[in-house]
Amino acid sequence: MAVPNANTAPLSEYAGDEVSALVLDPGWSTTRAGFAGEDAPKSVIPTHYGVSSSDSRLFFGENAIHSPQANLQIKNPWSADGIVEDWDTAAKLWEYSITSRLTGPKPTHPEKNGLNDDPNGEAMELDAQEEVEKPLTENPLLMTEPGWNPVKAREKYIEIAMEDWGVPAYWLGRSGVLAAFAAGKASALVVDVGANITSVTPVVDGIMMKKGVQKSPLAGNFVSNQIRAMFKQNQVPLTPHYMVSSKTAVDAGAPSQATYKKFETAPPASYRRLQEERVLTEFKESVVQCWTGPGKLSNGTNEEIAKSQPPRPFEMPDGWNQVFGLDRFKVTEGLFDETAALEDDENAKPTKAQTIPAMIQAALNQVDVDQRPHLLNNVVVTGASSFLPGFNDRLNAELQGMYPSPRIRLSAPGNTIERKYASWIGGSILGSLGSFHQMWISKKEYDEHGANIVEKRCK
Amino acid sequence: MPPFKDDQIIIISPGSETTLAQLGLPESFTPAAFRIRSRMFPGEKAGEWEPNKIRKKGGPGAHGANGSTNGDTEVVYEEDFMSEEGAVWPIAGGKIVNWSCFFALMTHVYNTLNPPFHTPILLIAQPVWTMKDHEKITQFFFERFKMPAFALMDSAVATMYAYGVQSATVIDIGKGKCDVTAISEFLTHEAGRTVALENAGGEAMTKRLLEVIKPKDKHFSRDMAEQLKKSPICEILPVGTQLPGPASGSEEAVSNPAAAASTGAAGSGPGQRDTGTALGAVPLGPGPDTVVGDEANGDDESEGVIDVASIVTGGKMQEYLAKKEREKLEKDKNKKKNAADAAAANIAKPARLPNSKREKGTFMYEDHKLLDTLKEMNLSKGDLAEMRERLDEGPKSKAGTAEETTNGDATSPVASGLAKAGSIKREIEVGTERFQAVSGGILESIADAVHKTITSVEEVNKRSELWDSLIIVGNGAKIRGFKDALMSLLQAKYLISPSSATIFTSELPSTISTPAGTGANTPQPQLGPHGGSGVNPLLLAATTAQNPHMMHPGQSTPASMHSHNMHSSHGQTPTSIKIAKVPEYFPEWKEVGYDESTFLGAQVAAKVLFVVDQGLGKGYMTRNDWNDSGPTGIHDFAI
Repeated sequence: MAVPNANTAPLSEYAGDEVSALVLDPGWSTTRAGFAGEDAPKSVIPTHYGVSSSDSRLFFGENAIHSPQANLQIKNPWSADGIVEDWDTAAKLWEYSITSRLTGPKPTHPEKNGLNDDPNGEAMELDAQEEVEKPLTENPLLMTEPGWNPVKAREKYIEIAMEDWGVPAYWLGRSGVLAAFAAGKASALVVDVGANITSVTPVVDGIMMKKGVQKSPLAGNFVSNQIRAMFKQNQVPLTPHYMVSSKTAVDAGAPSQATYKKFETAPPASYRRLQEERVLTEFKESVVQCWTGPGKLSNGTNEEIAKSQPPRPFEMPDGWNQVFGLDRFKVTEGLFDETAALEDDENAKPTKAQTIPAMIQAALNQVDVDQRPHLLNNVVVTGASSFLPGFNDRLNAELQGMYPSPRIRLSAPGNTIERKYASWIGGSILGSLGSFHQMWISKKEYDEHGANIVEKRCK
Repeated sequence: MPPFKDDQIIIISPGSETTLAQLGLPESFTPAAFRIRSRMFPGEKAGEWEPNKIRKKGGPGAHGANGSTNGDTEVVYEEDFMSEEGAVWPIAGGKIVNWSCFFALMTHVYNTLNPPFHTPILLIAQPVWTMKDHEKITQFFFERFKMPAFALMDSAVATMYAYGVQSATVIDIGKGKCDVTAISEFLTHEAGRTVALENAGGEAMTKRLLEVIKPKDKHFSRDMAEQLKKSPICEILPVGTQLPGPASGSEEAVSNPAAAASTGAAGSGPGQRDTGTALGAVPLGPGPDTVVGDEANGDDESEGVIDVASIVTGGKMQEYLAKKEREKLEKDKNKKKNAADAAAANIAKPARLPNSKREKGTFMYEDHKLLDTLKEMNLSKGDLAEMRERLDEGPKSKAGTAEETTNGDATSPVASGLAKAGSIKREIEVGTERFQAVSGGILESIADAVHKTITSVEEVNKRSELWDSLIIVGNGAKIRGFKDALMSLLQAKYLISPSSATIFTSELPSTISTPAGTGANTPQPQLGPHGGSGVNPLLLAATTAQNPHMMHPGQSTPASMHSHNMHSSHGQTPTSIKIAKVPEYFPEWKEVGYDESTFLGAQVAAKVLFVVDQGLGKGYMTRNDWNDSGPTGIHDFAI
């Protein structure tokens, strides 16, 4: 009688539960994918993709979209509302995010590779259906979705996974809930400041309070646009890296003396915008700051205090450089104070309801009164845009101002990966649990009940 | 399980072009003992692979002479160690494209090493391999070689072991791709990593050379471009360097006012830039009256590169040889005449100029195609040798140049030895195109990848140390001048110069234009805060930043930069770009260079993982682990 070795027994048990599920967390700026159980997504690809304007070929991945080409249009499958708009491309992009770094591609079936498209080929299609090699037949898939995803979109998610990819089992999780999971909380108020959308999600006992979910466009892109508007006001030239072949040091504010690259046909405007965004990201990382409060930037002497802080220099890719003083606070003030937002013909003024404090208030108003103190004690801040220096302090100050009595505690992981990929990590935790296989929708169930099953199973 | 010993460790580092392998760790680490070309030849049956090309000896002609039926013809097979015709390369751009061939290659490598029992294996993984690939490879190794332990290490991490640093940006230029990996404090940043950037490796450079030379010389072949790339005359000049020769103005890399400005034409307006470059052009490059020019004229008669192979197959061999004899005599005559001319005109000989200043250069071309053709012709041994003798120009030139030519070659010692003995060498002359191997965006896309990779590291304060320790490895980077050119481009494009605005005198909020050091007028800044009331923020900045220097505008020194960076973790990078210091304590590596330092790192890592650590840190997967968890278990051990 072999006594189970103390070392091997738990291992084999663990392996018994091991399902190696895939976790896919699509976002506006990046699409994250990886195997459940890992501590960070192994595959992070830009959600932006390139389309060749001559033969409408699609280009995915970091390497493909950054080389300046005359006919490469840069697009994004998401709409401004934070819902997928271009389903065909989104599905391909998501598939790429999984196959490129994780599972490897499967050879495309001759029927699907576009070479054998025949309008009269219906009969052939039918009998070939069985043998179609689908790309993700081996691993269960857990996907995240924004809390405001309409029923149609949710059904589309599972359709893509089941029909196009052939996944054996599927589950759809709300990104807010998963972010709370990642922070180790069953109940929390999740403030997710992303690239395109800032959302506030109340989560109570692991269930999203659907009515309380708030979203607004005051997120990373909003700050970028504020910076653009500020640049326009101050006549700051914004030249992306690809246009410069070498730069020369010049005095602050002096016109740049760089050598510019010559293009026979300049890359399209969408490409330029994406590359400008890289510069703006650097600007956000190294210059921009949130006024930490208390009070708004425009209150009393706050502006004077902000002004007295040392200004930060910034150098453009073409060598133009300048210091930014008060302006570096002003561009983020709109997140909290709608009256402070810069406006021009491209940037409409946000409404009061869109600001982050107002959204939190609105979200809490939808929650049971006795739950509110608990949620305020568990405010989870995630999303890459929350890395703006001073953001948490300001949020804390705003909340203290609005809710003076209960204790407010912000939980924002200092680890950049945990903050940026909170929903993915939550998905990774959930997907690696032994109980995951009780939650998922199997292929058989899907075949029986149809796409609407997500409404019943993934609340 | 007994502990592993130094002499019982296998290291295999597969690459698209060359696979490095070694059995056992020597006292002082040496370059890889085995350099095996990463290719196999299809065997008799599909799915079977041979390490060398098998040629049928006795072709159809021999059959006829024997007069026997097909059934019992005795076909003699001969292994051809040099030819690579019909070879299959299982790895392309780091990716494994042909699994059965890849496994055959690994088996071939393993058999070549001929290890004893109880030998653990360390395999260096390409960054582009997916997690599924890792599982497949692990399964194959455990099932085929039955080794006691297996470790899989990422090539960038291995390079870090070689350099012994904790943070670095590893730029690995391979054959068909380039990987850029930022590793800070031993942590690989997966999210922004540039994996297998296409058209940025040695292959792209060869293609580019072919592309620029082909229009001028239609016989110039890919093979020639490849060998030109490896020859010492092919060089990459730092950004903004003027190409020698008067006809070089057409190149985009040349028109670089930054360089012109830095060479003394500073402050020149856009109109003046061209004159700046033109001035720079005059002293460089020999004019049409020089010896170089004469030689070029003389060579016009030979109409560029000649496709000898086609002449041979066309049956015009004898004529060609006779013509060559004549040419040689003439050339000798010319040379004497030239020498006399040169002496008379008192012009420096072109040979004394450094390569980068010469308009033309010659290199030795090993004509494999010609050799193949000769072999196909079924000549007798004596004939073959004679032909080879007569066609070969190699030995007639100075032995020194021939030596140099093979220096850059990436073939194994054995193979290159054979090549020297059996190959046919011809001299080929090329113009300034030889400096353009990375033009057309190759260098720029690598530089952009470096910038992109480092800026995608989330911790802003870690970026500057990543910029300060760049590691450039890979045989694609071997091309002369590549590293300097990449550095100069990075510096010209991305380096953040100290801002003069952080020095308080330069930015007084005034409407009077202040004369700046460069002579240009500082424009009136229209920045909002400056016009406002209150303390001048710049005055405060200057005082709070503990900047004691009251400097004249425009004369900023790096000191001011440091002070600005000190008071905040935020700030733009890079303020300096440096190459990491190479480890100098391995004399054997010092001689050959550190292009393959990934392998050096692999040796260090193997020592640490298998001998020092003995598996405590879960650095390798043992047979027991394999039995317990199967292929997916490798993810717990892969580094």
